[in-house]
Amino acid sequence: MKTFSQKPAEVEKKWVLIDAEGLVVGRLATLVATRLRGKHKPSYTPHVDDGDNVIIINAEKAVLTGKKYTDKKYYWHTGYPGGIKERTARQIFEGRFPERILEKAIERMIPRGPLGRRQMKNLRVYAGSNHPHEAQQPETIDIGVLNTKNKRTA
Amino acid sequence: MARVKRGVTSHAKHKKVLKKAKGFYGRRKNTIRAAKAAVDRSMQYAYRDRKNRKRNFRALWVQRINAAVREHGLTYGRFIDGLTKSGIEVDRKVLSDMAIHEPEAFGALVAAAKKALEYLKDTTPNAFESAVR
Repeated sequence: MKTFSQKPAEVEKKWVLIDAEGLVVGRLATLVATRLRGKHKPSYTPHVDDGDNVIIINAEKAVLTGKKYTDKKYYWHTGYPGGIKERTARQIFEGRFPERILEKAIERMIPRGPLGRRQMKNLRVYAGSNHPHEAQQPETIDIGVLNTKNKRTA
Repeated sequence: MARVKRGVTSHAKHKKVLKKAKGFYGRRKNTIRAAKAAVDRSMQYAYRDRKNRKRNFRALWVQRINAAVREHGLTYGRFIDGLTKSGIEVDRKVLSDMAIHEPEAFGALVAAAKKALEYLKDTTPNAFESAVR
């Protein structure tokens, strides 16, 4: 018997909708990352993009626990000497693109490489409660009920 | 006595090496000096990876079984524990294949494993299933 290997042409990609309101960022990100990678399927194949398409709405309402909202820093380097820059999580949440907090958290949980970059394209994060993917008829999943720690009421 | 020239044997030897170096990058496929080293190394990799292949596949089966079993509210470790306790001897290769092609039969195995797990008897299914996820 030969071990099954999923063929890229035969992959069935589902659409999944998640409302991030009140959800803890890291806990949500682990679940989304497994789904994007397809590791929730018995047919998981490491070299094939086998995951689902994930839509996240209300990303601006996701929460960080502890002191992370004020203390967590995101760094990047511009390439110039002394060019290290930083923003706190709070500055990003209150800035123009609050959805980047969730995006970054998920991106860092996906393997870096050509396949990881492709799988990241199957993720769509929206700050507000609207999304333009009604036509795909996404299936809604409630992450909050899976574990009591997934949700925080402020 | 006839004179022996050495070109014939060395050409034959080189041919053997270069045949194995087909598809290599750059000089490694054409010149005997580079090709010989590359082929030697490739054989070492092949020897090592014949052994690694067995581990890699087992790891993949475990990942697949874990994914399948989590849909039923168990983890991989508990599932395997349940199977050993109920005396079911199906290997991981077959289990992972059943999970893909025969989900019902696989579900029956999961049910059997659950039954054998004493420590699950007191927990309500909902509380446990949420603990798994």
